[in-house]
This record gives sequence, structure tokens and C-alpha cells, in this order.
Amino acid sequence: MPEPLKRKKKDGTLYERPPEIEAWLKKLEMVEVAERLRQFATLSTKSIDYVPSEALIYFLRRAWANGMQGDFKEIFCILMKRIEQSLCSAISDSRMVGARGIREEIMGRFAERIAKDCKGRTGLLDFYEIRFDKAFSASRTSALRQIGPTVVDTVSLGTDEDDGLEISAEVEAAAADFLSSDPEKLDDPAFRLALTAAIDCLPDDQKQVIGLLLQGFQIDSKDKNIMSIARILQCDERTVRNRRDRACKALKAILQEEMHNDC
Amino acid sequence: MTAEKHSEEEILLAFSVEPTHDRETLEQYLIEYPEHAKALVTYSIELMVDATRNDDAVVTSEGAVDRAWQRFQTAVDQPGNVLVTNPFATLNPTAFRSLAKKLDITNLLLIRLRDRAIVAATIPRRFVHRLATELGATAEVVTDYLQSPPAIVSGHSFRSTVKPAVTEQISFTEAIETSQLAPTQLDALKALQD
Repeated sequence: MPEPLKRKKKDGTLYERPPEIEAWLKKLEMVEVAERLRQFATLSTKSIDYVPSEALIYFLRRAWANGMQGDFKEIFCILMKRIEQSLCSAISDSRMVGARGIREEIMGRFAERIAKDCKGRTGLLDFYEIRFDKAFSASRTSALRQIGPTVVDTVSLGTDEDDGLEISAEVEAAAADFLSSDPEKLDDPAFRLALTAAIDCLPDDQKQVIGLLLQGFQIDSKDKNIMSIARILQCDERTVRNRRDRACKALKAILQEEMHNDC
Repeated sequence: MTAEKHSEEEILLAFSVEPTHDRETLEQYLIEYPEHAKALVTYSIELMVDATRNDDAVVTSEGAVDRAWQRFQTAVDQPGNVLVTNPFATLNPTAFRSLAKKLDITNLLLIRLRDRAIVAATIPRRFVHRLATELGATAEVVTDYLQSPPAIVSGHSFRSTVKPAVTEQISFTEAIETSQLAPTQLDALKALQD
């Protein structure tokens, strides 16, 4: 039986792994160590032999606890290769200045987290046994906010140059049309996928506004109980509208170019 | 600053394992942790975008895995448990009681905090920050300490009605309900809940 997680939720109950991860662990516990390590080595997420990284974290911790240093190092290196692969996609050389150094720093920080867990910090890796990709994405996001190029806001919040820039009625109408007049289009998985990929190309301030709009937040509200985008980002609603309009203009151009290329 | 960043990552990690990442969940976190609003928003968008990324990208760098291993070894080879320091260690009994008074809590509750008898995740962040300020430590150091496994802390010698022992951790709510606090102290602590 896989060992339960140690980390507790705010209500005092223990976090639990998803049933599918528990099933993987039970299955892998029945396998010889050498065979298990062989299975771990599959790097392609598309392969039918791919073992979820949540399981690698579990067996990494077990190897340390049982003093199996050779196994520990082998799993550690496989895990880091997977992490590097994932980081090469999220922080590619073409998208970010100094990407390689940033990727290595994030890997190093994760290595230190593993070390802290080995030294007895309760449940420090538990989140990674529940949803590895999402947990690692959280660590990556937090690290990038500290060491990535996005650490410097190019446009300050509040009454800034955003407010001074007037967006033409034509652009505003196009934005409204883009986001609201064709809700069915937004429900189309293929379009949404293309749109999400295009959003990734936007500057951070515009990305935040579009991301929140797509999640259903409204731009502004006089009701202080309603969590609006202007309130979340602590800026004027005109700033939010301007960012939205500029983002929509950029998104339209990106998507049109993609459609053109597809044709 | 470091402390703030550290807690930011922990909040994002807690958000990462929520069953869903819809608007309601994000809104709940934004209300609970307004100081991390921008990080939460950025992360929620990263989750949307991650789905479009190809994790099978070709790895171009060389030696990154080896350097990560070196970093692991350096961190794990540090003697003892230096990664977690005890911010209560230098307090004598008088300073300990004085700290309880400054925080407007009973000695019993402070003992439970010191002995890590309370589940760290249930302790209100605002209280952790107050505790850190009064201890002259960073919130990161205090959080690291509170998250460490519960243990009897040696080197303290003051009278207590609680027999020292490694016990099952309890929630912050349970701790304040059973720490002989005055109703006004109890209300003040309840108001700090995240």
C-alpha cells in the first residue's frame, strides 16, 4: 500500500493523491526495481509507457527514505530531464532573454526543495505527488516573477500612460465583437486552443486582462462585493479597457496570420 | 521580500492541487490572499496556456541535470538541520512570557506554536507575520519552523500545565478554543483567520 501524504489541509484533513495516481503506485510497487526504473526513463508524454511524474516523486522519496542512493540518483536525473524538457517549452530560448539561465535556476531551486524534503521538512513535495505538472507550473510561475524578465512591469499601474492613450472606436468595437458577439466560437475547442496559444504571445498586462475576461470576470463594478478585473489588478477601469482593446487587436492579427498560414 | 516570495509559492502550490481552477476557485483565493493577487492571476493564465504547450520539446542545454544534482548535494550535505532554524531558541522564560503578552495570547498557545503542535497550514498568515515581527525573524524562517515536524523543543524551562510530549497536531481553531484564552483574545484571533 502506498504511504499516505503527510501534508494537511487548512481543515486539518490530509491531502490525498488522485485515485489514478494511487493506482499507478500500487501497480509500480509490484514491479521489480530495475524494471520500474526502466519504465521511468520514458520521456515522451505521448508514449503509452510514460509513467506520471507524480509516481516518480513518490518513488524518489521512498528511495531516499530506504537509503537506496543509486536508485535515488537515477530517479532524480530522470525527473530533472523531464523538468528540463517541460521548461524548454514554457521558457524557450526564442521567447525569453536569458532563458537557459532561468531554466537552470528553476531546476536548481527544485533540487533544493527535494533536499529540504529529504532533510525532514514535512510534506514539502506532497503537492507534486498530487498534480505534478500543475504544482511545478506554480513553482515556475513564482520563480519567474522573481528572476524572469517579467519582474519589471513595463507599464505601471493606476494613472499611467495607459489612461492617456485613446483607443479608437473602431478598435474598441472590434474587441467587443471578438470577445462577446460570438460565444459559440469561444466554445469551439480548436478555436479556444488557438486563442490560448495566441494569448501566450501577449505582454503580461494584456495577458492578465484577457485571461480574466475569459475566466468570466467583469471589467468593473460599483458593487464592492464583486471581484472585478479593475479591482484585482488595482487599476482604473479605463486602463483595463485599453489593455483589453489593444490585446484584442493583437490577438486578431495573430489568429488571422495563423489562419492564413494554415490555408 | 524573500519571505513574501516564499509564501507566494506555497499559495500557488495550494491552488495547484485544487480539484478545479475555475473562476470561483480563483475568486476564493483572491479574496483570501489579496497580497498575492497578481501571482494568482498570472498562474491561472499559465494553467490555461500550459495546455497548448508541447512538453516534448527538444532539450538543447547540456549539463543542466548534472548541475541540478550538484545543487541538490550541496543543499543536502549541509550539516544538521540548518535549513530550519528555531526562532524561539534564544527566548528565556521572561522573554517568552513577554512575547505572549505582546501577541495578546496565553503562554499555552505560544507553547503549542513553539512545539509545532498546530498544523502550520491552519495558522492565519497575518498571525504568522505578527509572530515573525515580534520574534525579529522573517516570515519565511517562522513558516519553515512551523512547518517542520512536531517535536519537544529542549532548552526551555518554564512552568506549564501541559506535559511536554510529541502529540498529534491540531488545527489552529482547535488550539485557540482550548488554550485558556479570554473571549476578547479569542475573538481577535478568530478575526485574523484567512
